[in-house]
Amino acid sequence: MAKEKTKVLENKPGWIASINPWVLRVVNNPERVAFVLHRVTGILMALIIMAHIYVTGTPAHTGWEAWVEEINKAQGFSIVTLYFFFFAGIAWFHGLNGIRLLLVEFFGVCIGKPEKPKPPYLAPSLKACQRKLLYLVFLLWPILWALTGYIVFFK
Amino acid sequence: MVKRGTVQALFQYITAILLIFLLTWHLVVRVPWLRGVETFKDTLSPSLVYHEINAYGVLLLIFAYAALLHGFNGLRGILLEWTSGKYKNLITIVIVILFFVFSALATYTVIGTPSP
Repeated sequence: MAKEKTKVLENKPGWIASINPWVLRVVNNPERVAFVLHRVTGILMALIIMAHIYVTGTPAHTGWEAWVEEINKAQGFSIVTLYFFFFAGIAWFHGLNGIRLLLVEFFGVCIGKPEKPKPPYLAPSLKACQRKLLYLVFLLWPILWALTGYIVFFK
Repeated sequence: MVKRGTVQALFQYITAILLIFLLTWHLVVRVPWLRGVETFKDTLSPSLVYHEINAYGVLLLIFAYAALLHGFNGLRGILLEWTSGKYKNLITIVIVILFFVFSALATYTVIGTPSP
C-alpha cells in the first residue's frame, strides 16, 4: 500500500525523462529526441568546460613544458585526440540545435501560425519549418563531427 | 516586477547568441590549413597558443565567461527541475561558487601565461 502511494505519476517521470526520449509516449516526436540530446550534451558540456578551463591553464600553472608534453599526445588515436573528438561532437549537436531553438523560441521564426484546432489536432509548430530545421540538425551533426574527426585524427 | 525566471532565460539566449560566434571562432582556429600549419597538433604549439592568448585575450575571456554563465545557468535549471526546487538555495550557492572559481581560473590563464 505504501509502495502504491510513492509511485511516480506518469506525468512526472523525474530525471529519467532527461535521458530517455521515449518516457513520454508520443508518436512522431523527434523534437523530444532533440530535447533529450540537447539536455545530455548540455550537462556533459558544462562538466567538460570545467575540465577544459583547468587543462588549458596548464601553461600558466606549471609552464609550457607540461603543455608540450600533453600536446605531443595530440596525434593519431590518443586520449587527447579522443577528448577533442568527443568534446567537438557534443558541442556540434548542442550548437546546431541551439541555433534552431534560438530561431524558434527567441526570434519566433519557423514555429508556424496559430490555427483553429481541428482533428487530428496536430499542433501547427509540429508542421512548421522548425521540423525541417531539426532534420537539418540531425543531418549536419554527423557530417561536421566526422569532419572534426578527420582533422583531429588524420591531420 | 521583474520575473527572475524570465531574466535567467534571457541570459541563456543572449549568451547562446554570443557563444555561436565565439565557439565557431574557437573551433576554426584549430583547423590546420586556416592557421598555415601542417597538423592539428601544430595548431596547439606554444607559439600559436601564446599568440592567441596575447592577441585575443579579451575575446577568450568573454568566451569563457559566456560559456560558464550559459553552462552553469543551464545546469542549475536542470538540477532545480530534477529536485522540484527542494534544494534551490544550496544549488544556487554551489553554482555561483563554481562560476566564480572557474572564471578566476580562466582569468588567471589569460593574464598569467608566460611567453614560451
